[in-house]
Amino acid sequence: MAYFEIEGLSKSFGRSAVIESLSLSAAQGETVVVFGPSGCGKTVLLRLIAGVLRADSGDIRIGGESIAHLGPEHRNVGMAFQNFALYPHMTAFENIASPLRARRTDEAEVRRRVHEVAALLRIEHVLGHMPRELSNGQKQRTSLARSLARRPAVLLLDDPLRNVDAKIRYEMRLELPRVLREYRSTVFYVTQDYKEAMALGNRVGVLYDGTFRQVDTPAGIYGRPESIRIARLFGDPPINLFPVRPERNGDGRAAVRIGDSDLSGPPSLDGLVGRDLLLGVRPEDVEVLTEPADGAIPVELDALTPLNVRSVMLLKAGNATEILASCPEDKRPALGRGRRQVWARLDLGRALFFDRATETLVH
Amino acid sequence: MASLTLDNVSKIYRPRRRAEVLAVRDLTMHIGDGEIVGLLGSSGCGKTSTLRMIAGFESVTKGEIRIGDKRINDLPPARRGVAMAFEGYALYPPLRISDNIAFGLLRDRRPKAEVARKVAGIAKLLEIDAILDHYPSTLSGGQQQRVSLARALVRDADVHLLDEPMSQLEPQLRAVLRARIKDYLIEHRMTTVFVTHDQTEAIALADRIAVMEGGELQQFASPEDLKERPANLFVASFIGEPPMNLFPAEVGPDHRIHVINDANEAAFSIDLAGAGDAVTQVLHPGRKVHIGIRPHRIRVGPAGANDVAVGNGVDAVVRGTLLSNQWLGDQSHLGIEVGGCFMIAVSDRGVALGTDEPVDVGLPFGALHVFDRDSERALLHGMRPAEA
Amino acid sequence: MLARIVRAVLLTLVGLFFLFPIFWVLLMSLMTNQDILRSPPSLVFEPTLDNYAALVSGQLSTSVGTLKVAYMQNLANSLILSVGSVLLSLLLGVPAAYAFARFRFRLGENIAFTLLSFRFAPPLLVLLPLLFYFQELGLYDTYIGLIWVYQLITLPLILWIVRGYFEDVSADIEHAYRLDGHSWLATFLRIAIPLARPGIAAAALLAFIYAWNNFIFALILGSSDVQPVTVGALAFITASGINYGQIAAALVLSIVPTLVLALFAQRYLVEGLSLGAVKG
Repeated sequence: MAYFEIEGLSKSFGRSAVIESLSLSAAQGETVVVFGPSGCGKTVLLRLIAGVLRADSGDIRIGGESIAHLGPEHRNVGMAFQNFALYPHMTAFENIASPLRARRTDEAEVRRRVHEVAALLRIEHVLGHMPRELSNGQKQRTSLARSLARRPAVLLLDDPLRNVDAKIRYEMRLELPRVLREYRSTVFYVTQDYKEAMALGNRVGVLYDGTFRQVDTPAGIYGRPESIRIARLFGDPPINLFPVRPERNGDGRAAVRIGDSDLSGPPSLDGLVGRDLLLGVRPEDVEVLTEPADGAIPVELDALTPLNVRSVMLLKAGNATEILASCPEDKRPALGRGRRQVWARLDLGRALFFDRATETLVH
Repeated sequence: MASLTLDNVSKIYRPRRRAEVLAVRDLTMHIGDGEIVGLLGSSGCGKTSTLRMIAGFESVTKGEIRIGDKRINDLPPARRGVAMAFEGYALYPPLRISDNIAFGLLRDRRPKAEVARKVAGIAKLLEIDAILDHYPSTLSGGQQQRVSLARALVRDADVHLLDEPMSQLEPQLRAVLRARIKDYLIEHRMTTVFVTHDQTEAIALADRIAVMEGGELQQFASPEDLKERPANLFVASFIGEPPMNLFPAEVGPDHRIHVINDANEAAFSIDLAGAGDAVTQVLHPGRKVHIGIRPHRIRVGPAGANDVAVGNGVDAVVRGTLLSNQWLGDQSHLGIEVGGCFMIAVSDRGVALGTDEPVDVGLPFGALHVFDRDSERALLHGMRPAEA
Repeated sequence: MLARIVRAVLLTLVGLFFLFPIFWVLLMSLMTNQDILRSPPSLVFEPTLDNYAALVSGQLSTSVGTLKVAYMQNLANSLILSVGSVLLSLLLGVPAAYAFARFRFRLGENIAFTLLSFRFAPPLLVLLPLLFYFQELGLYDTYIGLIWVYQLITLPLILWIVRGYFEDVSADIEHAYRLDGHSWLATFLRIAIPLARPGIAAAALLAFIYAWNNFIFALILGSSDVQPVTVGALAFITASGINYGQIAAALVLSIVPTLVLALFAQRYLVEGLSLGAVKG
């Protein structure tokens, strides 16, 4: 029996079913990221766990005990909201102390616990300020501190880094795992940013169309996404997808056609001859060369967009097949501005094959 | 297709009963024919005021703006030969998307067949061909933004002005649309000025970027130059994601740089003896500086092992503790604590190190930037003096 | 420069136009009847406090002798009626406004709109039937009766204004308080009400003014026992002549409580809502 369990949870608004028969188990102290496109129901799920929304059916259990019928004040759940939701008429100290005061903790203990969590989040120096005097980054940390203060069994973080600017978001992304490890709550973290999901989750649950479509470690989802939709959601630039039908070529090997070129596939492709597939190749598995080479196909380089750590190149094979390639900044081939001919080597050994009709991964 | 010159341009807002606001101060830039230039900075830095002055929606308080050789200060927007994509999209509600995009072309009296062809082409490029018959009110923010962009890009103008052109774009589409737009601008040799607060977008699209802050131009250079040779502390900390690691430090009597952490204690030091006279002249003992190093130039390896050692691209090694190791599919982000200073390192492959493990941090001198702490101007890039 | 002078002059003229009646009433209250009726009217006169003295002492002097006037009692009645109705409306209206703002229940909008519609109906429509009912129930000429009827005026006001303010308070702030471990009631008392305070103050003040100014209900459904100043002022129109000076003094006295309340409540009206505790 896992520490935290959701079983068959459903919630509809009017006629649309936002959450449908959703189930999940989590261990104590584990961080599960709830990832999905906007509008998929991630926030609704958190609110159902928190108890500020009542589910239509299903159960939620902590340590074996059902909490589905309890009001939010009795659930032992803490939540940090996307828009912070600090109490505007109380100081930062009082905000963080609120959950402790609800339990009638004595004053000395309240002070100790508030300072402890404030020190961990580096906001001790603003405890006396009112929320309107805090910067967005400080408000976010105060909101987090408040949710942590009484060490809840389950911690819900609703996209807490979304409304904070890039620099602070970056810092927090690196610091947050340490903070969460200190407190050992089971954490549900909602985000739309796949990098955040990979950085922060022990496991990631991809949520769309009402339920979890895949729950796996970040590496598992990135490396073996169960559907095209998940493959495209995880990765920037998104994975290249080519409609192909493998045929046997002259050497008896299975080959696919990309643009105007035929490429021999890996042995795993042999069993898929004649099937309508979508071939998925991640941009980092496309190598761009300035000279022809074995296994590399001729392509037109249309544009090079340097980014910070990697560069992204837009290639065109044949006349109409677009390929996105990305490579580390310092390994970028020396290319000028404007279109030119280059060669691209696609690493089919690392490619993913999806059935074109069902859009699911072919193993 | 023409060049654009700003000559000592200033903009002063004089709101009633309040202090004057100097939004743009003495801006001088020359943008070549067909060049793509980004105006980059945080909100309030003057970039939007500058764009609006070029377009003609704001008057120029001082200075001159020229397109080609022609002074345009006093011309109304319609007569300047500029096409603009607005931050608020400004689509015409009663017109279909196809008519919105075609509007400028029809006004220029282009033949209908040509207009239809161009509209179809740009719509396909920006992936809005499926909604050409819709009306603006039925579209999402991202779609509306693409329509606004299409309308500006399809026109033949001397200068194209884009105000935050991709801020609302769906994340999935961003990489490919950025590339397609860049290709389009280069293929059509369009002189383009765009405004953005997102430095990733600026670096991806622009030939040169004008970094602005507080109304003043900080540096106008290629993305490469901004990254490798930032002129001052602001540019160094603004450009780059993850941002450049920057630490205050003091030069000791022995040509060692002593880095100071948040609590004002000594964190670690780097020995620069043997770096050359040019360096030692600039770094005289007692000088207060900031040193900076970009995350992807830092090498990290297990402590004590010889993976990271002097020689082989590394000139100084310091000991630290690994705080976090995050693998993001195509790159690793590492958080390291060295003597109380927090450093970020990026690697394009997975790094097999666990949290709380001691690590060796390798710093190549060629990747070190030194800034004067008082003036914040750059002193050294790599071990070479920055331009005066 | 010229624009500023012209603007100042125009504003002064407009101000004078609107404030003049009040200013004149104030002057009249300090004049004798003779001064008031003098033609042409004059701004120069000898001020006298006789009018106020008459009101306070209850003795109205006319050309045919003195008349007993219970104006001070009228003031007290107005206070009792207005304060009473506003307090009752707050007690009923604020929780109701919260319920309308936070919970979605069947016919919710219909009920709320029905309550608002009370203000649309002309009072004369309901007065006659109400008079009969009141007399049957023994509520005629009682404080309770009038306070009850005044709810038609004050309750919809409080309900609709305060509901808007509750809706403006981000629900997440209340959710956070619940998750901290506080009960629904604690959340209402310690988060919702303090954050809606400007709205509650504004609504209470407005309701007070409307209740204070009510004439028709008090006239028909009340009599000498509960007469507020609006009805009581009628007494100054006597068979033996109208004493304008005393009416003016009565008017000034009737404005004072509302003015004081407005000045006092102004502080709450100006406070912002949600004071930056939500991202923005």
